Amino acid sequence: MSDTTTAPDSVFDEVVDLIGALVGDDLALLGVEVRRDTAFHEDLGLESVDLVTLGGLLADRYGPRVNLAEHLAEFELDDVIGLTVGRIADYVAAALGER
Amino acid sequence: MPELKVNGLRTNYQLLPGAVGPDPWRANETVVFIHGMGTDSLASFYLTLAPPVAAAGIDVISYDLRGHGRSERPVSGYALADFVADLDELLCALTVTHPVHLVGNSFGGTIAYAYAAAHPHRVRSVVAIESEPPTEVWAAKMAGILAATTRMLGVEENYEWIEATFGAHHRRLARLAAARFTATTMADEVATGPMMTAREVAAITCPVLSILGRHGYQADDLGAVTASLPGGEAFVFDDQGHSVLVERHRAVRGLLVEWVRRHGGG
Repeated sequence: MSDTTTAPDSVFDEVVDLIGALVGDDLALLGVEVRRDTAFHEDLGLESVDLVTLGGLLADRYGPRVNLAEHLAEFELDDVIGLTVGRIADYVAAALGER
Repeated sequence: MPELKVNGLRTNYQLLPGAVGPDPWRANETVVFIHGMGTDSLASFYLTLAPPVAAAGIDVISYDLRGHGRSERPVSGYALADFVADLDELLCALTVTHPVHLVGNSFGGTIAYAYAAAHPHRVRSVVAIESEPPTEVWAAKMAGILAATTRMLGVEENYEWIEATFGAHHRRLARLAAARFTATTMADEVATGPMMTAREVAAITCPVLSILGRHGYQADDLGAVTASLPGGEAFVFDDQGHSVLVERHRAVRGLLVEWVRRHGGG
């Protein structure tokens, strides 16, 4: 993982909101507290296909410069499996800061 | 999330338009990714090959097969013919009128072969990763693999072994596979065809690239598929089992872009 940007809370909170839209329920109602170290697959019980959908939601929100699929295409499988919400937010922040 | 009704089933798909570049050969080439069976989804292509292939100027279509990913999961209707019909209706619904390159992984490649036989005018080429055409040989092998998998997933202690050997993620996938095989007739139906004869396989005349792992599902005869196809070529990864797409995706992407360049419609 090459991006070293740590996402500000504002970006992190927006990513959490989008994941809430993905899950289809308010995460708080489900009793899930999403933190930076919350794992997308293991802790949220989501599948890789949901990561693709999240990529679409991120592109809708921020425009095409946030391209999660392109970013993840450079990952090894284990890194995708272990992806945390914080690292997704860090990527978004880095992509937004690039220009 | 983009969805279409395909043969009455909600179907999740993703389009990635090819980047506009200076190379005119790339115009109007479309790759359709078809994932494998069980717990697979469009993600295995979308998070590996789709972005770099689109960056090379090729339009990309990925979709979740019926009963997979976020597409609808009917209780029954998992014969090969159902998957072939879905692909045809999806391409019609997306108004893809030019011939496409079908790229299938495992069972997805079998769908690609069957589709190329049924709709030759709609297929520019087939790239099949660890796949075989749907012959009786394939059906027997597939039925054996599915029966062994179903038996294995029915024994509770095996989940401990899966986690210890492959990690927690694979345990979750195994649970998911077990739930889906229990909830649907997929495991019983997939290998029911209709199957193709050797003559029907030989009638697939488009270019075919068969990408294999030396220790994958065709380890017993690595040359069988290409020998049965007039336009067949093979690429074999040494020291590699069935998971070619996951473990060799960077090399596969290079093969694929070069393949489309060679076999584009010009």
